[in-house]
Amino acid sequence: MAALLSIQDLVTAYGKIEALKGVSLEVAEGSITCLLGPNGAGKTTLLFTTAGVLKPRSGTIRFAGKDIAGHPPHRIVRTGIALVPENRLVFPQMTVIENLRAGAYQRSGAGEIEADIDRLMQRFPRLRERAAQDAGTLSGGEQQMLAVARALMSRPKLLLMDEPSLGLAPLVVEEIFRIISDLHRDGTTILLVEQNAYMALQVAQHFYLIEQGKVTFSGDPGSLEQDEVIRRAYLGTARR
Amino acid sequence: MLDLAQNTLDGLALGASYSLLALGFTLIFGVLRRMNLSYGPAVLFGCYCATWTHLNFQAGLIALAVVTIAATVLAGAYVERLCFAPHRRGSAVAAMVASFALWMQIEEVAMLAMPRHIYPFPQLFEGAPLQFAGLSLPGDALVMLAATAAVCVLLHRLLYRSRFGLAVRAAIDNPLAASLAGIDLARTFVLVFALASAIGGLAGYLIVASHGQVTPMLGMWSTLKGLLAMMLGGLGSLPGAVLGGLALGLIEAHSQWFFGPQARDLVAYLLLFALLAARPAWMTRWTTIRSAS
Repeated sequence: MAALLSIQDLVTAYGKIEALKGVSLEVAEGSITCLLGPNGAGKTTLLFTTAGVLKPRSGTIRFAGKDIAGHPPHRIVRTGIALVPENRLVFPQMTVIENLRAGAYQRSGAGEIEADIDRLMQRFPRLRERAAQDAGTLSGGEQQMLAVARALMSRPKLLLMDEPSLGLAPLVVEEIFRIISDLHRDGTTILLVEQNAYMALQVAQHFYLIEQGKVTFSGDPGSLEQDEVIRRAYLGTARR
Repeated sequence: MLDLAQNTLDGLALGASYSLLALGFTLIFGVLRRMNLSYGPAVLFGCYCATWTHLNFQAGLIALAVVTIAATVLAGAYVERLCFAPHRRGSAVAAMVASFALWMQIEEVAMLAMPRHIYPFPQLFEGAPLQFAGLSLPGDALVMLAATAAVCVLLHRLLYRSRFGLAVRAAIDNPLAASLAGIDLARTFVLVFALASAIGGLAGYLIVASHGQVTPMLGMWSTLKGLLAMMLGGLGSLPGAVLGGLALGLIEAHSQWFFGPQARDLVAYLLLFALLAARPAWMTRWTTIRSAS
């Protein structure tokens, strides 16, 4: 399949320290691509640079044929990329409905937006129950669902997800991964950063391993199972 | 008893002007998390521009109000570009210090352009105050109360019923998440600054039009009263700023009656001191709720 997102030689730095030292990767349209690697390897930096929160020092980010490297976040949302950030980052003092409306900020057409809100509430019944509640009062799992739903409100072609299972109870983690699989089935392309490699490799079609700002390994989940070295080094941290 | 009621009424009218000033000041602080010391000087600039227009063109009251608000927004935009846009992601202290530098600059420019410093300003009402049940209320005080109430209602509608309000509240709650949701933060902040300056300009106009004169002290006075009301209201909450302004007006009016005009400001500062000494958490109550969640 064609690459929806294609990143070439991406370098992003915080001052003098390069967090990404020339990363290249591709995300095939319709796929779940998973980004693995230890803490501090540059996974979040890669997502932030793709979403426009950080500006790259060099390299290209092509999305659906257009170079979007260095564009501001609100323009990148408009071109069809949405990021579900680590730790969810919902708007705590706004209601669930208002959080969803904020996710549709770049769109016009109130009728369609309300229809999308209704559809997402069907998908996430817990959010419907809490529709008028402030998002800060939701549980961690509910906030994660809200963060995903808010990102979907921009009708993204590509969904970037940063550690969606972080800090959630095992049952909730399973629910989150069920949602990821559902989104995939509905045709959303997903780039997933996940510490929980065991769960991530069950849903992904392709993975990249990032260490110290570089891609050190890439392949399909099956090949990783056979590679004892990588298994010991990187699945050792997986929470089963 | 009648004196007490009259003082309370006077205090509320005075407090309404503080509330209006504090709304503009707090809007900037609440959204940008930056202290704009040049808020008052921008108001002074707006009022001097209106004075100049009055001296040269004999403009009417409404035209003067429009000139004051427009010139205050212009000065506010200048402050935003120089002090706040460059430090949006950087240091809050740098932005505050830069706004102090512009305070001096704006005040000097205004005073050089208006060399007599103290000018008469056309009054809203010249007639006798309204009388009812033994109480009296000057017409301009009534306008001040009505204007403050109207701004509160309009601001609430704007923040809770409009697309722009959604962006502002999202930016307050979590700036990073707001930009990820597709909200243009830079643009939102500029608009908030313009809105806050417009509210400050309206407050400044009503204040000088009820005093009947404009003095160079207005700049420092506006920043000070806006800051005091915001602190009394718990730093960063808009309803708190309105209540803080009203409380400050009531405190001043009553302490002037009981202890004389010299004690008026002193009592207000002492009460603020007591509040901060007894309840240090009061000041950070809004900021910590946000950062905790």
